[in-house]
Amino acid sequence: MSDMTINLKIWRQKNTNDSGHFEDYILAGVNEHMSFLEMLDVLNEKLIKEGNDPVEFDYDCREGICGSCNMVINGKAHGPKHKTAACQLHMRTYSDGDTIVIEPPRAGAFPVIKDLVVDRTALDRIIEAGGYISVKTGAAPEANLIPVEQDVSNQAFDYATCIGCGACVAACPNSSASLFTASKLSHLNRLPQGRPERSKRTIAMVEQMEKEGFGDCSNYAECEAVCPVGISISSIAEMRREYMKAIF
Amino acid sequence: MPSLLEAFQSQVGRKILTGITGVLLVFFIIFHLAGNLAIFGDPDAMNSYSYFLHQFGPLLWIARIGLLLIFVIHAWIGISIWLKKRKARPVDYKVYSSKGGPSKQSLSSRSMAFTGVVLLIFVVFHINTFALGDMGDAMLADGTVVHDVKTLVIDTFQNPLYAFGYTFVMILLGAHLGHGIWSAFTSLTLRSKKASAVIYSIGVIAAIFIAVGFLVIPLYIYFGGGCDAALIHCN
Amino acid sequence: MNLDPKIPSGPLESKWSTYLRDVKLVSPNNKRKYKIIVVGTGLAGASAAASLAELGYNVLTFCIQDSARRAHSIAAQGGINAAKNYQNDGDSVWRLFYDTIKGGDYRSREANVYRLAENSNHIIDQAVAQGVPFGREYGGLLDNRSFGGAQVSRTFYSRGQTGQQLLLGAYQAMMKEVHSGKIQDFPRQEMLDLVIIDGKARGIITRNLVTGEIQKWEADAVVLCTGGYGNVFYLSTNAKNSNATAAWRCHKRGAVFANPCFVQIHPTCIPVSGDYQSKLTLMSESLRNDGRVWVPRNKGDKRPPNEIPEDERYYYLEERYPSFGNLVPRDVASRSAKLVTDEGLGVGETGLAVYLDFRDAIKRDSREVIEAKYGNLFDMYQNITDENPYEIPMRIFPAVHYTMGGLWVDYDLMSNIPGLFVAGEANYSDHGANRLGASALMQGLSDGYFIIPYTIGDYFAREKLEKISTGHEAFSEAADSVSKLLDKLLVIKGDKTIIEFHRELGKIMWDKVGISRSKEGLESAIVEIRKLRDEFWQNVRVPGDKNYYNKYLEFAFRVADYFELAELMAIDALDRNESCGCHLRDEYQTAEGEAIRNDKDYAFVSAYEFLGVNGKLETKLHKESLNFEFVELKQRSYK
Ligand SMILES: Cc1cc2nc3c(=O)[nH]c(=O)nc-3n(C[C@H](O)[C@H](O)[C@H](O)COP(=O)(O)OP(=O)(O)OC[C@H]3O[C@@H](n4cnc5c(N)ncnc54)[C@H](O)[C@@H]3O)c2cc1C
Ligand code: HEM
Ligand code: SF4
Ligand code: FES
Repeated sequence: MSDMTINLKIWRQKNTNDSGHFEDYILAGVNEHMSFLEMLDVLNEKLIKEGNDPVEFDYDCREGICGSCNMVINGKAHGPKHKTAACQLHMRTYSDGDTIVIEPPRAGAFPVIKDLVVDRTALDRIIEAGGYISVKTGAAPEANLIPVEQDVSNQAFDYATCIGCGACVAACPNSSASLFTASKLSHLNRLPQGRPERSKRTIAMVEQMEKEGFGDCSNYAECEAVCPVGISISSIAEMRREYMKAIF
Repeated sequence: MPSLLEAFQSQVGRKILTGITGVLLVFFIIFHLAGNLAIFGDPDAMNSYSYFLHQFGPLLWIARIGLLLIFVIHAWIGISIWLKKRKARPVDYKVYSSKGGPSKQSLSSRSMAFTGVVLLIFVVFHINTFALGDMGDAMLADGTVVHDVKTLVIDTFQNPLYAFGYTFVMILLGAHLGHGIWSAFTSLTLRSKKASAVIYSIGVIAAIFIAVGFLVIPLYIYFGGGCDAALIHCN
Repeated sequence: MNLDPKIPSGPLESKWSTYLRDVKLVSPNNKRKYKIIVVGTGLAGASAAASLAELGYNVLTFCIQDSARRAHSIAAQGGINAAKNYQNDGDSVWRLFYDTIKGGDYRSREANVYRLAENSNHIIDQAVAQGVPFGREYGGLLDNRSFGGAQVSRTFYSRGQTGQQLLLGAYQAMMKEVHSGKIQDFPRQEMLDLVIIDGKARGIITRNLVTGEIQKWEADAVVLCTGGYGNVFYLSTNAKNSNATAAWRCHKRGAVFANPCFVQIHPTCIPVSGDYQSKLTLMSESLRNDGRVWVPRNKGDKRPPNEIPEDERYYYLEERYPSFGNLVPRDVASRSAKLVTDEGLGVGETGLAVYLDFRDAIKRDSREVIEAKYGNLFDMYQNITDENPYEIPMRIFPAVHYTMGGLWVDYDLMSNIPGLFVAGEANYSDHGANRLGASALMQGLSDGYFIIPYTIGDYFAREKLEKISTGHEAFSEAADSVSKLLDKLLVIKGDKTIIEFHRELGKIMWDKVGISRSKEGLESAIVEIRKLRDEFWQNVRVPGDKNYYNKYLEFAFRVADYFELAELMAIDALDRNESCGCHLRDEYQTAEGEAIRNDKDYAFVSAYEFLGVNGKLETKLHKESLNFEFVELKQRSYK
């Protein structure tokens, strides 16, 4: 197990209004068992010791579930591996001497806060518009009163696993948030509990997505390719069907 | 609740409209292709087909206007989607690449707007050349006098500029449809994950068939020497 | 100080219903006039915020992450308990209560735990109504799995992502109220102090993590749902932003801290691979259903595991605990792993790991069956370690996972500071000295959906609250003290990074305040912590400045607090001269290494009052004695 030297080219941007630029770093002593984010930790330790500003990036769970991390690595959201969040990527994917370019997820709706950290509250506002079932605490009936077919429940689960990372937006040539929005619709509209509000929900969420300045969907399916949990673009097709049902 | 007019201006509504108009255009060109291939039929086939269409008179005009409307809507939305993407990502990536796998990014999908615009320009020329072009008269076997489209076509494609230009545009049409057919299915709510791979392949094959169907005509005429070509039967 | 738990009188079964019957209500018109701050949007915070807003209160929510949905609760895997008895296997509220009390080694309050068990069923109803996709049977009804420490199947699950699904349910309920205007949501805001006016909690000070601005917020009550403090150990299964600061700041303002030394160490985590390691990943407890835990019998046996013959393998759990075998509770499994590695039998490059072997299960059930059960976990393991667990046994090791200790609360979940409520992992309430699997999610949601909304109303109905504003001097005093502390951290500009300090602190804690503890070790830990803390304040290097996004400044502030909390944990562990639950004192165990509890002298909640930090932490111990009226105290045995 030999240590690697990695050449990094990282986007540095002081704040939202700064125009930003790339900076090059050479990082020696990178261990193949390090996670990608640990490699950045090591870089930051070095920068701090040298008296420089560390690179800011978002993370929390480092287990691929919170959706905090979302950076674009050599042009690919979350890096080269399918169904893998950036925090679950390991340096063994790279070899000694490789150059890695790291950029923030870019979209007008995701203003850069600093370096690789962006503001993704637009996604929260899409959920706020209707991504819920209106049941008050205490008003719920006995859980087994409404059986849900196992298949339907499993499918709903598959769509509900979206971690809200925004990689779909980052990777989409149009910066569309369709996969994010559709996954929530496909989760909730599919369940008997979510039916009563489905039209209202669908219309509200689609409208919000547009208001936030996300682009249109051109069916590139790049979102599905970068999605760390593999949400299928068939959910987007489903969203359109739901929308049609809702407006007629 | 948005009105229908508003609904079809929403992101999802627009996409459904591109899908519908796209599919209608595909139907139209298949129909058109069938007409074109009549050039290989008996000597009168092409002209009598054209005559048959003209007999509808005002109805033909309604169809043409409808078609034009479809074209305009389709092109309008397509271009506006393309223009919007710049606004949605004001600062672009320095390095960008597709992750492959389920991604349907390809030269075909990324150049929809380009191929579309070329098609639009082409259509104007095309109408100018063939629908409004100078045509002689021809007499069918039953004695009816009709516009001689066939001769116009054959003459036109003797010109290398036309023959190769047309061929080139038809390749772009194929590219447009390579992504377009699958995309339309997805826009028009194809839900199955498994079927999507199959439909994508079918879409690409259909696109190739359509493109080849169109482009064999000019090439064959050009290389075959017009009426001298083996499969073309002139009077 | 009088720590009155305010437990309603009467039989266990009717304490909560009596409380609900007598609870004072606030009229809908008046609810509109109250403002409540909820800090933290994990299961406890999101559920509390949503429920309070539904009632008509004005709620402000704060969290560190960029979205409420990313709270640490999102990472919980296994499931959530409820006494539904859908399996008809004899479960009941009583049994869930009893298992939880026993699992906690009799160091929690009967009344609180019973209420938790009662609420468990409502939680499942609520979650299902919100669209949480729990696992279901073919017939469409809800499925259950079994979990450690229980003989019934009562755990509801959403594959390996139960926490995620429950949190999204609560988050969505919260967003519904953001939409209705009753909640104002403030992500990327870290609470750095509590504001007390006339002895009551009346607001908080936050740092806006984007702009660095110090902001003041006033309210009629503060609900703290800021999670656990496992990250004191540097390496843990907690998310990187989990921290103790909010709770510790409240402690410094007078809130009493209970049972700080009760820390759960989870037996099955992926071992540390190097110095750069930033966190540990949990491998679900369920793996022990089929995996066999072993180490080589002979010290220094460096052969690859598959070449070690059967008779040279030491299946230590099966040998030592023949009746429970690999399924002993978490504390026992963790302790045994430490024992064998201390003897030098550990495996892997560092010697700090044991094998979890699926060879026999695969032989017995086929690879397909094992894959169907654990496929995603095996993939995760392979992704992290680059080893194929179908062929090579997994290497696992215990890791810090959960903190049972936290701010002291009464039956109303109110701390000793009136108006400061504490819910979820941040309070100490229900798990005693050890938490059973699948019960933290239950507790967070029980607190948030079904307890706080009533008890806070009772508080408002009883207390007369003066009108205040952030102009009050208590706000400027607190804001100034926060600013000063930030400046103090920034000017040091020493040579050692925050992570270096934190890692060193973690090592002291792991070695001496970890799986097993001794008088000697704890005493030296206290000395070492103090020394390191002094060095921290002289030699830490915090980069950048405070008036913009600066993650390392956030960490520095948190690590500064860990240094004080760490000392309190060691003091508490030293004080508790018994072994109970996760707290194992070397001096108090049988010859075979089994814990010896001392109910006569230690059946109490240790509750510490903060006095000051002057080179050393000055603190005063109060005791809330635990009276067991309904269960009989027994020595746990898993032999
Ligand atoms: C890997 C893992 C698996 C687990 N699996 C299970 C399981 O299967 N079953 C089970 O029952 N339990 C499980 N647990 C335990 C359980 O997940 C947690 O105990 C529980 O989720 C804690 O919820 P909470 O709401 O109290 O706090 P958290 O979810 O930790 O939320 C804390 C919130 O407070 C905020 N916050 C913290 N400090 C501040 C501050 N100063 N200012 C502002 N905001 C602040 C954070 O941003 C966050 O929003 C697991 C834990 C881990 C680590
Ligand atoms: C022969 C004529 C044409 C045919 C058969 C055709 C067909 C199609 C089809 C089937 C689609 C897929 C629809 C969808 O994704 O839902 C499509 C998309 C598209 N078309 Fe056309 N088209 C034609 C002409 C044009 C013209 C003239 C333009 C524009 C100038 C154009 C621009 C586009 C664009 C930009 C898209 C992609 C829309 C998106 O990004 O979502 N097309 N076309
Ligand atoms: S759909 Fe996938 S890529 Fe998009 S936000 Fe959700 S998890 Fe991330
Ligand atoms: S840090 Fe949580 S998903 Fe990557």
